[in-house]
Amino acid sequence: MEYWILFGTFGLLMVVGTPIAFSLGIASFATIVYLGRPPVVVFQQLNSGVSPFTLLAIPFFIFAGDLMMRGGIAARIIAFAGALVGHIRGGLGQVNVVASTLFGGISGSAVAEAAAVGGIMIPQMKARGYGADYAVNVTSMSALIALLLPPSHNMIIYSLSGGGRISIADLFTAGIIPGLMLALALMFTAYVVARRRGYPTEPFPGFAKTLQYLVISIPGLLLIAIIFGGVRSGIFTATESSCIAVIYAFLVTLLVYRTMSWSTFVHCVSGAVRTTAMVLFIIGAAASFGWLMAYLRVAPILTDMVGQLTSDPLMVLLLINVLLLLLGTFMDMGPLIIITTPIFLPMVSSFGVDPVHFGVIMILNLGIGLNTPPLGPVQFVAAAVGKISIWAAMRSVWPFYIAGIIVLGLVTYIPALSLWLPSLFR
Amino acid sequence: MKNGLLAASRLFGAISTLALWLAGTGLVAMTVLVAYQVFMRYVVNASPPWTEGASIMIMSWFIFLGAAVGVREKFHMGFDVLLYALPDSAKPWLRGVSDVAIFAFAFGMIWYGLELAIRGWSVRIPVLGLPQTFTYLPIVVSGVLICLFVLERMALRLAGEPVDVETTEAAVSEA
Repeated sequence: MEYWILFGTFGLLMVVGTPIAFSLGIASFATIVYLGRPPVVVFQQLNSGVSPFTLLAIPFFIFAGDLMMRGGIAARIIAFAGALVGHIRGGLGQVNVVASTLFGGISGSAVAEAAAVGGIMIPQMKARGYGADYAVNVTSMSALIALLLPPSHNMIIYSLSGGGRISIADLFTAGIIPGLMLALALMFTAYVVARRRGYPTEPFPGFAKTLQYLVISIPGLLLIAIIFGGVRSGIFTATESSCIAVIYAFLVTLLVYRTMSWSTFVHCVSGAVRTTAMVLFIIGAAASFGWLMAYLRVAPILTDMVGQLTSDPLMVLLLINVLLLLLGTFMDMGPLIIITTPIFLPMVSSFGVDPVHFGVIMILNLGIGLNTPPLGPVQFVAAAVGKISIWAAMRSVWPFYIAGIIVLGLVTYIPALSLWLPSLFR
Repeated sequence: MKNGLLAASRLFGAISTLALWLAGTGLVAMTVLVAYQVFMRYVVNASPPWTEGASIMIMSWFIFLGAAVGVREKFHMGFDVLLYALPDSAKPWLRGVSDVAIFAFAFGMIWYGLELAIRGWSVRIPVLGLPQTFTYLPIVVSGVLICLFVLERMALRLAGEPVDVETTEAAVSEA
């Protein structure tokens, strides 16, 4: 009965469109009242859920991403990427992917990246005769690279949802090869589609000019070294390096690029507050929900059920992948990580899957879900920038989906792609 | 009646903006605090013991204030598929049900938050030395704001104001 109350109330509220955080809170409240325990626990957890110091990294990385996006760091990185790969067939599409990869190394938010890179690239691509749908699809899919490359705040959410014992440094390292694989797969797809549609190339600006673009974008690119080097070497915690990223991005845009004005700063701050308040409020509300799931032994019971179906870890991962892809079309990434990690992580662990490996699978999988209607925030942003409807984008997105799914399959079934790089640092 | 309602709505708008500014100040303050901690730890080699607790405290204020703003600006994420599938006339009803749920939870935030805050008066937060009341106060304040904002929306909806019209512009500027 208590299972019905917990999941039934949650499901019912979600279906009528109640925000996730409140659906979680009310469902936990109802269940706790049914179990005859003091409901004050729900609100105690609401606070303790948002009290770990590691959590500070989430607002900081989001804030830093906002500063870089609005402060012109993204624009300079795009110019550098243009000089590097513009001369390949479908030039601006290639530039889009490479710029996303470089920018993804300093910002962890796919939505911020679609807005930053897409905001500059999509109008340019349209002006050069590329189809708006192509521009939108390249942008929205390559924005997912940011999720896999450090500093991905979704990996921090995953680490915390998994009980906080999964090393953030390992997760950051594990995402690098899958992230670069996704970039290559998308460049290849962009090339093939561009060839078929006869899209142009850009002239190579020469080595001197390329070098000049590199020098201009170095202050931004240095962040990659600061964040990754700091966390990986253990000199800084994730929280400290995220804070350094904010200060650094602020100083670079204010003093070096001189693009930061008071009104831009206010925009960045209020944007970051809105995003983090939403994400962290869900984390707080999910704390009591997660506590109840543990109390009611939801994960062990489901693991037993799955165990009766199959004992093959590959089969279990396939099942979970399909389920997550389905859920991902309806729900956003952060909440899904928060809700499903406590269920799926113990399950896959009992089948011998490494938690770091599973984290990479989950993030790539749910990332693809960010580009699928009915709820695809990254696709929405890219389509809005490109001024086309979601359906117009959907009609020609298939080659890019296939590229994403192939990478997901490889990452799922070849654990070494995720686990080899972190193992070098141990 | 309707004019009074719209005047009240402007007042709530101002309160929401104020909450957003406070939350934003909190984010900046938190950045400065952690930066100070990093500086003291690596450069001066004397890590101040209170910065961690203080920044967590600030974070909980800015999350809960921001969450209240989110109820008014409707930036909390939900699963809106049914709303797209059903005819437009069903929208106010579904939104109405959601608003009742939000109100109920926010009322719980006030009620139980106060219980925690009062109980915490005699307990001190380690290092900071403040009463634990301050830990739970953001929940109470946020609960009060959310209740007000939801009541505002319900009243406007009953008065026939278009509160349930989605603006795609907002979603994009959000990003």
